[in-house]
Amino acid sequence: MNEGTLNLLVGLAMGLNLLALGSSRLPALIRTVAAQGVVLGVMPLLIEHETLDWRVAAVAVATIAGKGVVIPWLLRRAMRAANIEREIEPFVGYVPSLLLGAGGTIAAVGLARALPLLPAHSGSLLVPGAMASVLTGFLLLIGRVKAISQVCGYLILENGIYLFGLLLIHSTPLLVESGILLDVTVGVFVIGIIVDRIQRAFDSLDTRKLTTLRE
Amino acid sequence: MNPGPFLLLALLALAAGGVGGLRFPRAWLGFSLIGALAGLAAALGVLLGAPDWEWRGVWRLGGDAIHLRLDGVSALFLVLLSVVSGLGALYAREYWSDAGNPSSAPRGRAWWSVLTLSMGLVLLAANGLHFLIAWELFAVSAFFLITLDARGRATRAAGWLYLAASHAGTLVLFAFFGLLAARTGSWDLGPMQDQPALASLLWLALVGFGVKAGVFPLHIWLPSAHANAPSHVSALMSGVAIKMGIYGLVRFSGWLPAPRGAAWALMGFGAASAVLGIAFALAQSDLKRLLAYCSVENVGLIAAGLGGALLAGAGNEAAGGNLLLAGALLHVWNHGAFKALLFFGAGAVLHATGTREMNRLGGLWRAMPWTASLFALGSLAVAGLPPLNGFVSEWLIYLGLFDAAASRGEAAGPAGLTAILIATAGALALATFIKASALVFLGAGRTPATRHAHECGALMRGPMLFLGTTCVFLGLGPLAVWPAIARAAASWGGALSPVGEPPDALAMLGRAQRVLAVGAVVAGGALWHRVHSGRHRRDVTWDCGYAAPTARMQYVSGSFAGIVSGWFTRILRPARTLRRPRGLFPAKAFHLERVPETVLERVLGPVAAVFVRASNAVRRLQHGRLSFYILYVAAGLVAVGTFVWVGSLR
Amino acid sequence: MMNPVSEMPLRLAVWLLLAPLLPGIVNKVKAWVAGRRGPPVLQLYFDLAKLWRKGVVVSTLASPGFLLGPAVAWVAVVGAALLMPLGPSLAGAGFRGDFLVLIYLLALARFCTAWAAMETGSAFEGMGAAREVSYAVLAEAAIIAAVLSLGVQTGSLSLSTMLAPAAGAGAALLAAGLFVVLLAENCRVPFDDPNTHLELTMIHEVMVLDHSGPPLAAILHGASVKLLLFSVLLVQAVLPIGQFAPWAGAGVLAAGVLGVTVGVGFVESLLARLAFRRVPLLLTTAFLLCLFALLVAWKGGPS
Repeated sequence: MNEGTLNLLVGLAMGLNLLALGSSRLPALIRTVAAQGVVLGVMPLLIEHETLDWRVAAVAVATIAGKGVVIPWLLRRAMRAANIEREIEPFVGYVPSLLLGAGGTIAAVGLARALPLLPAHSGSLLVPGAMASVLTGFLLLIGRVKAISQVCGYLILENGIYLFGLLLIHSTPLLVESGILLDVTVGVFVIGIIVDRIQRAFDSLDTRKLTTLRE
Repeated sequence: MNPGPFLLLALLALAAGGVGGLRFPRAWLGFSLIGALAGLAAALGVLLGAPDWEWRGVWRLGGDAIHLRLDGVSALFLVLLSVVSGLGALYAREYWSDAGNPSSAPRGRAWWSVLTLSMGLVLLAANGLHFLIAWELFAVSAFFLITLDARGRATRAAGWLYLAASHAGTLVLFAFFGLLAARTGSWDLGPMQDQPALASLLWLALVGFGVKAGVFPLHIWLPSAHANAPSHVSALMSGVAIKMGIYGLVRFSGWLPAPRGAAWALMGFGAASAVLGIAFALAQSDLKRLLAYCSVENVGLIAAGLGGALLAGAGNEAAGGNLLLAGALLHVWNHGAFKALLFFGAGAVLHATGTREMNRLGGLWRAMPWTASLFALGSLAVAGLPPLNGFVSEWLIYLGLFDAAASRGEAAGPAGLTAILIATAGALALATFIKASALVFLGAGRTPATRHAHECGALMRGPMLFLGTTCVFLGLGPLAVWPAIARAAASWGGALSPVGEPPDALAMLGRAQRVLAVGAVVAGGALWHRVHSGRHRRDVTWDCGYAAPTARMQYVSGSFAGIVSGWFTRILRPARTLRRPRGLFPAKAFHLERVPETVLERVLGPVAAVFVRASNAVRRLQHGRLSFYILYVAAGLVAVGTFVWVGSLR
Repeated sequence: MMNPVSEMPLRLAVWLLLAPLLPGIVNKVKAWVAGRRGPPVLQLYFDLAKLWRKGVVVSTLASPGFLLGPAVAWVAVVGAALLMPLGPSLAGAGFRGDFLVLIYLLALARFCTAWAAMETGSAFEGMGAAREVSYAVLAEAAIIAAVLSLGVQTGSLSLSTMLAPAAGAGAALLAAGLFVVLLAENCRVPFDDPNTHLELTMIHEVMVLDHSGPPLAAILHGASVKLLLFSVLLVQAVLPIGQFAPWAGAGVLAAGVLGVTVGVGFVESLLARLAFRRVPLLLTTAFLLCLFALLVAWKGGPS
């Protein structure tokens, strides 16, 4: 049932993608991203549950802690600092982005079938899940105007890359994995500060207002 | 029974009507009815079992002997043509009478006969050249009927747009028939399934006939033409003339080897037409424009069914394919019946109130009970609701699509998607026709225009009653028309085996429809009796304590359609002019909304503007100064000389 | 298995007599969660009996369609219910494509209700009718996707064989999607609040504002049959009712319907009504759930 459970988890992550596309309130969006982080963190344990060594366990724990706890906490703090609760009138509406996301997910499943994958990966949802997450991330980055929603989009995009990475869990050095995680955390930390600054400078987090900086 | 004499009779009667109609209205009506009945007899004869009728004349037209053929497919369309043209002639006697339109009524009668005759010839022609001649005559006579009342600028614009679009389509058909004749060596038409080299020609037919049928996005001419034409002409155009495009699609998809891609395209564009056509319809506030857009939806349904049938035939899924083909063919009849009924109803409203704008109407049921109830019947039918005829053909198409989806074959995915899109279109059609019939006939009259409304006379009511009865009959007894549909499907000639025995489920469906109809009548009667036997009184509508409601406060077109047109706003692109009420005693506030024909105004318009600008730039060369013209000649000579010299160097 | 004709009265009795129980159960659950005693479970029966005996006030603007609408809508809903099998013992006489008749009968009921609402010329009722027919577009897409997934799963196109086996791998998706459709089509929270009496926030209730007496009784009874219909559909779509012994199947079905009803009660107690502009989002989600169930059915199963 290992394969089945893993597919269930990837399916759950894909469902969370759609949830992220459909949620208008920032706390809900952050919760969704956090939940996806936890789901992703569990996966290495499932893939490697026969030869569980401390390194895989460390990756899992670090992922869960980083994506499920630390980053959401940073985001929530930034949200409170900027004093915003919800996204109002996104660039691409919720229903269109949901439909686009669903179409993308279906296309990803179809595309993954057409790709020449290793036989070991052909039945798995990892590749379509990864593509769907990357697509969702892009959709959020393009379609939302509040900086925090865009950060969430960036995180989902990164989650997609992480899912790709799981395919190569045997050959990727642990250092790369943890390096990425560290980068992301630092990135979110920095963005938290920037968000605060944008808020002070423009009285809003609408990234469209940044066009006034182009001169 | 040999259909030949009947067809000759119809031809003579229509020709006599065309000539005599200018002076003798009564004789014209008689000739039109004789023509319609004779055509109907011939077509029904073939549909009910007579062998195909074929006739080669000795006269030559354009170098080819005249060659006519009446088989199942043409007979199916000929039935529709005969019925609607006959009823339309009756209706026109009152609707477009000499007293009301002394200048245009005689012309209208003559062109009506020509249009009917030319459409009949299109159906009968078995020679590409003669098909084109009849087709051109049909297009031109329809133009003169649309612009019968050419006083309005909108009508003239609609006529020109129709003529331009129609000729663009005809141009493609010229290419199609010309190439067909060049490759087969003869203008004769007939089954050519065995020549795979002809497959690519079907694409041309798809475009050429698609323009006439009004498949999205080739429908640009349809809404304005059908809205601005006189209503009896709209009924004939929407009920029959666009079916000539469908006839071409059915005919040549059966006769030519169909490339897979063409089947996909038919299905895809058909499904898109269904959803977008009805979305546009819902957003309209002009009653006849709404009906016209709804025709785009129904043509889409037919095209999707036909495309699905082609796919299923290619994929050896005969069961589903037969259902799809039968559903598409039956929907040709059904749509002809209820759409003509609805246009007749819209004409009666226009006749009585002088406006097609639904936001100015309301409460007409009291003055026009017959029109109101028949329009309601037509609305139920067009929304595809049981127990009427629209549901039967939609049911067949759905069932075919579900068959294809459940078989997990190659067409499974698109078939499932098409089923979902058609379901969406069905629900939108329901919303559209609730809106149309409720805004026009229910509630209170919104403007003084409704105050002097009157019921139409017997000549207008009779055709509506006949079509309404047809809708009920086709709904309650689907088995009765199955042999006709099967006969038409058998002479289609595509990859499908002829549709034989009616499916058992159709018999069950008919039974369910009849039970439902009886149940509805009984329950309606029982509730009516219960209410009227107890205490009952009339009082004003609940107004939520507001002291002075006016009729203008009722829901109007834009407010009813607002939710859905909000979903489609990127495609519909409504133009809004809004002035909000301001201050304590707001003086003036309004909200105007108009949904343009997006493809025409947002896509074709800008492209055409570029062409016009380029042409204007070129036109500057034409200024009338002789010396410059000589310079052009000299420059031309030098250019040609250089060209020749460069060529000789090689 | 009984003869389809002789079992018809029994099926009719089950639908007509048991349906008004459901709204009572929902209200009881809501009262229980809120710590109230609440109205008796049989309250709707009393209401219906009272309404049937009452007189009628008809709007001065209304045509005869105002009375015919509720009658035809009631017939359509009951007709749809009669097509729905009631477990293995009361499967009824199905035919290929009967599910389409069922769906379109519900559409007919919607047409008639909206028609009767528009009769009065009231802006409120126009509002309700516009909402009803607009949201139904999404609900209809969802429900067609759902039956399509059942059809693909079982390879059959008639309700009795389509609903007998379990829904397969996509059962959870299908259940969630159908439950949302159930809430939307029956105008329950979070789409509509049957308790509120503010016209601006209602869908179904605002359409029937001007009805009274026997026509209102027909509308209320029809609504309860529709709720039962959707619960039965949901339970049979998800559970393998057809694999039980006849009477055990009926028991499981009844228990499932009870569970769904209690679920509706809990949803109504715990959720607030959605803002109207959020309704399409939830319905789109339901559609996507059913669509994904369809994809799972396509992917799995024998091909």
